[in-house]
Amino acid sequence: MRAVWFVVARLARDRSALIGLVLIALLVAAALLAPVLSTHPDDVFELHPSERLRAPSGTHWLGTDRMGADVYSRLLFGARITILIGLIAVGASLLIGVPIGLVAGYYHGWPSDLLMRASDVFLAVPQVVLAIAIAQTLGPSLPNVILALSVTYWPWFARVVYAETRALQKEPFVESTAALGASPWRLTVLHVLPNIASPIIVRSSIGMGFTILTAAALGFLGLGPPPPTPEWGRTIAESREFLPGAWWYAAAPGVAIFLTVMGFNLLGDGLRDVLDPRLRRSPARDG
Amino acid sequence: MRLLALALHRLVWFVPTLLGLLVVTFVISRVVPADPVALVAGETATPAQVEALRHDLGFDRPLPVQFVGYLARLARGDMGVSLFTRRPILDDLAHRLPATIELTVVAMLVSVLIGIPLGVVSALWRNSPFDHALRILTVSGLAIAGFWLGIMLQLLFSMRLGWTPLNGRLPGYPPTHLTGLYLIDAAVTWDWATFGVALRHLALPAATLAFPALATLVRFTRAGVLDVMQSNFVLYERAMGLPRPLIVWKYILRSALTSTVTQIGLLFGILLAGAVVTEAVFDWPGIGTYAVSSIVLSDYNAVMGFTVWAGVIFIVVNLLVDLAHTLVDPRERAS
Amino acid sequence: MTHGRSRLTLVLLAAGLVLGLAALLSAPAAAQTRFVFANESPYDTLDPHAAFDVGRVAVRLNLYDGLYRWLDNPPKLEPWLAESHTVSPDGLTYTFKLRKGAKFHDGAEITAEDVRYSAERILAMKKGAASLLSTMITPGATKALDRHTVQFTLTKPAAIFMAVIPEIHVVNSALVKKNEKDGDWAAAWLTNNEAGSGSYMLTRYDPAIGFTAKRFPGHFMPWGAKSIDEIDFRFVKEDNTRVLGMIKGDYQGTGGYLPNDQVKRLREAPNVKIVEAESMRIMMFQINNQRAPLTDVHVRRAISYAFDYDGFNKEILGGTVERNPVPIPNNMWGVPRDVKGYTYSLDKAKQELGQAQAKVDRPITVGYLQGFSQTEQAATVMANGLRKLGLETKMTSEVWPAMVERMKKPETSPDLVVYWISTYYADPNNWIGEMFSSSQWGTFKASSFYKNPKVDDLLETALKSTDRAVREKAYQEAARIVVSDAAGVWIYNTKYFGPWAKNIEGIRFSPIGNGQEIRWLHYK
Repeated sequence: MRAVWFVVARLARDRSALIGLVLIALLVAAALLAPVLSTHPDDVFELHPSERLRAPSGTHWLGTDRMGADVYSRLLFGARITILIGLIAVGASLLIGVPIGLVAGYYHGWPSDLLMRASDVFLAVPQVVLAIAIAQTLGPSLPNVILALSVTYWPWFARVVYAETRALQKEPFVESTAALGASPWRLTVLHVLPNIASPIIVRSSIGMGFTILTAAALGFLGLGPPPPTPEWGRTIAESREFLPGAWWYAAAPGVAIFLTVMGFNLLGDGLRDVLDPRLRRSPARDG
Repeated sequence: MRLLALALHRLVWFVPTLLGLLVVTFVISRVVPADPVALVAGETATPAQVEALRHDLGFDRPLPVQFVGYLARLARGDMGVSLFTRRPILDDLAHRLPATIELTVVAMLVSVLIGIPLGVVSALWRNSPFDHALRILTVSGLAIAGFWLGIMLQLLFSMRLGWTPLNGRLPGYPPTHLTGLYLIDAAVTWDWATFGVALRHLALPAATLAFPALATLVRFTRAGVLDVMQSNFVLYERAMGLPRPLIVWKYILRSALTSTVTQIGLLFGILLAGAVVTEAVFDWPGIGTYAVSSIVLSDYNAVMGFTVWAGVIFIVVNLLVDLAHTLVDPRERAS
Repeated sequence: MTHGRSRLTLVLLAAGLVLGLAALLSAPAAAQTRFVFANESPYDTLDPHAAFDVGRVAVRLNLYDGLYRWLDNPPKLEPWLAESHTVSPDGLTYTFKLRKGAKFHDGAEITAEDVRYSAERILAMKKGAASLLSTMITPGATKALDRHTVQFTLTKPAAIFMAVIPEIHVVNSALVKKNEKDGDWAAAWLTNNEAGSGSYMLTRYDPAIGFTAKRFPGHFMPWGAKSIDEIDFRFVKEDNTRVLGMIKGDYQGTGGYLPNDQVKRLREAPNVKIVEAESMRIMMFQINNQRAPLTDVHVRRAISYAFDYDGFNKEILGGTVERNPVPIPNNMWGVPRDVKGYTYSLDKAKQELGQAQAKVDRPITVGYLQGFSQTEQAATVMANGLRKLGLETKMTSEVWPAMVERMKKPETSPDLVVYWISTYYADPNNWIGEMFSSSQWGTFKASSFYKNPKVDDLLETALKSTDRAVREKAYQEAARIVVSDAAGVWIYNTKYFGPWAKNIEGIRFSPIGNGQEIRWLHYK
């Protein structure tokens, strides 16, 4: 508990991490309070064809889209989708990747190699391509996007956990605990996990940003949730045919994505600086 | 010695890893409910005609049989024929690979030639306004959606200012085919008009692709330089009164470069992933758009062919990077 | 020394003079006129018998000839390679007299044997127009009676046979046979080469880029003094790029079915003119008549009342299309003029739902085409209307080939699918006949899976008879029944807004060729 407070205190002194925290708070607020904060909450599914492609004004703060719906309101509801995708996809990747990394790191020999090579298989092709293949196969929808992202992101967790577990195994305290007869289970949960919590937390934060970007890319390519879902990536794709006239239509969701991902990246960097200064200096593999 | 062991170890796993990748892709591509045979038969074909064509192409045999058949042909170097373009996959890949290579190399050059100096300068003038501005830029670099950046650049430079074309590699027919890299082909044949046009078409996509790579490079170069600057032997040299430029050149730059080498693998990953989306935005006729359209059209052979190619490249690059990493980082060597 | 040097100077001067004179006197080559067209679909094959669609029509129109050709709007069948034809009284035998002296690009004369071979090739390759032709002629039913007379024997009388004749593009049988491999009818070779007689001869082809062709001086149709020398058809995928290219003058023509906002931009460009014409290309939702609860006519009528036609046609498409309430284009004969069709009325929709016996207790799947944002928008408007009725929807999208595949069976086809049906040939059968005859189930036009014996009879009658009055009555009656049955939701008929360079003249638009026959064009 003291450790957590210590971390928070250190974090608070890092200005950029604070900015990140604020941005994330804004995102969460937008998502949770969307019905309250939006000016036209019905525009998530309501159409007003006669008002399409209006420039930003007093009634429509960020203008209207191709169906005459309010861009600002749809942006707020889009935040919900963004958070949902990020949380579930990263959470699932964590739940898959961490155990795999632990097992592979703890044991030696070919089962461990097999697991790591399996993760290589998923890393061999760019995550975006694999996610496209899965989403296209299963059909464009929200659950399928989340599935595609989870299935392709877990190797990052596995690798980090594997490397850290292997490094820890050589630590004297682990060796001695094992020598004292502690079971692998006890060893892992009580001793290894707490020590690898830091890299996992850091990777989760960075993973949120990365996943949100990939989800937006899938939405842009038409493989995300179908219309009229106000997903940010899809909105950008919709706006293209109305450029350069309706530039706000394309700019707004992009800025939203940017601020969101920036928030998670800044927080992740701050966490990394605080939790594991050692990581900051080594050219760690990132993603 | 350890290096050799690592290399051999990875090589032993190369084939099974590739095989695993192929199985996964094969299953995914075949499980697709859409039927590419319909595309070949044409929209006016009757169901009976489609079935006849399916039999001709061998797609009515059980899946494991099809997979084994594919592997056998692959071993002979035959990747099959694209259901969509009706041409051998190897030809299609060879046709489109230069486009992606040209884009990626130019983006890589841009990010390296701009990124490393910026990173060094940023570290040397640490905490200056310049450094702060650069840090904002680098954080943004990894937070901007690549496809959105491309669209915004198009909006500004193509649509509003008219400085660059909107998309594509060249508006008409390419220069004499030597390498498939238009810049080189045009330069070698002294076709400077085409060279200029190709360069203008490259400008926006390369900038879009390079941005995240640039950001990463600046960050890591800066961190690497800072590390070295604080290291003991540099402090010693400064205490001894050695001139700063000499220190910079002798130690800092060299180690910055070394750490960058290990970043190439990371860079490669970023660039390849970015290439898919960048090619989609700029309608660049490379491997990225080929992969996406093959998947979307359920062009089985093309998807498998692309996966084999990408898999081999990635596994090899990963291996090289791991080897380089082991060479460079003494901590890893000891483990 | 000065002597040598001055001599050298003299020699150099003389050489310079000679060269200069030569340059002055050599007449500059007559400026070659070029025409560049930006197409939205790729020219992935040059084989005229492999495709039938409007997207790649430039290949067939410019490089090949048929016995007759569709020209102008409303489309008329004009003799082309054939001078005339006769039909036997029983309607089973069509005899064509070919014009004499027409040549292929390699100089060989076009004979009846080439026509016969081309017809057989289409049937054998089973692509493109084969699906239509094979219902009317069988392999071996075509004969070359003499050098310039070719005869087709039909299996049964078919009113649309003449309408489909232009799709028998005549290939140079000797040249094609020479390039045959393993009995493939030279499919591999003809994909990348041409064996035609058309107004232009292929000079360059790259499936990723497009094709170029130069004027064929020996074409049987006369050339004008200012006819275009070289044509360049390119694949340019993005609307924005095509529009920008037209404005900059990189292209002199492009497809005429652009979104309204882009057409507006082009109207404002000083060097572009928009040629407006009424086309024949209807957009509609097919309703899967075989899947409950859509088996109930009241449910289908409710759906028909739930689509905001004016909102879509007038607002979203900016009034650039005409409401077309019947499954035949407004400007085609055979339309029952008394039928007003459905309007957007939620009250009437609810009324119909109330009368329905089937319960709508599941989401209705609405299918649209990936890459065609208009279908996406139409699907969104439909879903919105249904939502107002309290009906849930589920959107599903596929690329066109995948959607065609799904539409082949009632079990896999979505509840509603929105797409267009263009003019493959100018006859009501191209629409209502192929859409609502139960014999057409499994083709992409018949994904309504409609089955009504009375309508089947009427359509069959219309197909068999060659009397236009009889056919017109039959189609009108069939249309009335189908509309009353709400077998589909018919939204609009397209108008063609063709962007052309302002200094281009002579454009002859027809819904089948879309003005892409370049031989009629010239610069002012």
